Amino acid sequence: MVHTPTNIRIRGVRDGLLVTLGEGQFEHLCYELESELQQKNHFFRGSRIILETGHRQLALSKLRSLAQLIENQGLSLWAVLTHDTTTKNAARDLGLATRLPGSNTDLDGNQLSPSPTTTTASPDPPPDTPLFRQETLRSGRSIYHEGSVTIIGDVNPGAEIIAGGHIVVWGRLRGVVHAGAFGDETAVVCALELLPPQIRIADQIAIAPPPPEQPQPEIAFIRGNQIVVEGWSQHRSNRTRRDQ
Amino acid sequence: MSSKVITVTSGKGGVGKTTVSANLAAALALLDYKVAAIDADIGLRNLDVVMGLENRIVYDLVDVVEGRCRLRQAMIKDKRMPNLHLIPAAQTRDKMAVNPSDMIVVCDQLREIVDFVIVDSPAGIERGFQNAIAPADTVLIVTNPEVSAVRDADRIIGMLEAEEKGPGKLVINRLKPTMVERGDMLSINDILEILAIELIGVIPEDETILISTNRGTPIALEDTNNNIAGQAFRNLALRVDGHDIPFLDLQTKNSFIDRLRSWVNGR
Repeated sequence: MVHTPTNIRIRGVRDGLLVTLGEGQFEHLCYELESELQQKNHFFRGSRIILETGHRQLALSKLRSLAQLIENQGLSLWAVLTHDTTTKNAARDLGLATRLPGSNTDLDGNQLSPSPTTTTASPDPPPDTPLFRQETLRSGRSIYHEGSVTIIGDVNPGAEIIAGGHIVVWGRLRGVVHAGAFGDETAVVCALELLPPQIRIADQIAIAPPPPEQPQPEIAFIRGNQIVVEGWSQHRSNRTRRDQ
Repeated sequence: MSSKVITVTSGKGGVGKTTVSANLAAALALLDYKVAAIDADIGLRNLDVVMGLENRIVYDLVDVVEGRCRLRQAMIKDKRMPNLHLIPAAQTRDKMAVNPSDMIVVCDQLREIVDFVIVDSPAGIERGFQNAIAPADTVLIVTNPEVSAVRDADRIIGMLEAEEKGPGKLVINRLKPTMVERGDMLSINDILEILAIELIGVIPEDETILISTNRGTPIALEDTNNNIAGQAFRNLALRVDGHDIPFLDLQTKNSFIDRLRSWVNGR
């Protein structure tokens, strides 16, 4: 019998068992994972599993069946490290962590600097690497990122963005946003249409002023201990005047 | 034609999922299709009442799933149309009595028998909702022209996208054109601006719908001349069937005074 090389790698890390899914069909991987876990069940028993899926796209249903498979072996899935947006969202919908506590991966599973617990082939971006998304954030979606966040699309009521840096929305912003969430008072929020119920920058919270009669791009920032909102064109001319 | 499973859902309760399900099923049956409506709201069943078939229930969906009866035995034939069937929910159980793969199995069996399966989803985003969307080819999202219903619909659309069930198609129910004209109600455009999905039905607010619901006769079956709500449901069915039907003009005829007022307001 030819022993096919396994596409599943399992190793112990500080936070539990790190399971890395390699190449191959999803069904095959499921099968391999199941038999691996089964064979070494006495060894793994009671561990919590961190699943590393790389760039593989896993929809909610697939991720759920993986979680079920793991649970059937008396283990629990608690985190998913992924580079894929769909997978990441699915993991969050299942209430799973997408980064390891105290590790140097950000909430989106991006490796920030080499860490003893995980190694990935990706380059190491600086900690405040911006997050860029081209999609509409619907109600119930939450984005938490340590750097700045840029969205091309709308942010609907009931969605939220919490960013360590700036928040830029190329679209209509109607969800709750918190820029400079770790205390950066120079952070700004701008949107083509700035219509959030509330704007938070650093430690300041403001109820958004009524929108301008004609929709126009606006920017919110902290000036003299309070959040102010200006039309973009006005802001630009003010700034030019100050610069001169 | 290959059979289609259509799930009617909303997130928020009370927006008219069951009314839309019953009327869509009835209107598709009027088009001579074989139709089965499934009430997936286990523990809080309603579709049987709205379809006027409450007194005929012997077996239900949970009986089918747990093997106490054959699928055919749980299909209640409608008293008005022999090509319309209802599979009622169990009233004494809860959502956990069925799982998503059970729903797929039942609907796959139904595909052999009928042209359309209409699944009436419960409110919420938990197990009952997951059950209802699992077998769906198409999902209809029902909303009302009100901020809370639209926000819940938005959440549902996001979840459908995560489940790779597509964004779904939108049914706006209980629209009051006069209130929209006064600016007191979200307009169709306001809703589409947020949800950004395809609109497939607009049902006006109409007290005849409530009357027919209580009487157990879907309004879509009442074919009187000035029954605009029934027409709206029949148009919805035609669009589900792939026809390109223009939306009804629900705007009331402007009186002279109204026109003068809007002219003065510069609109």
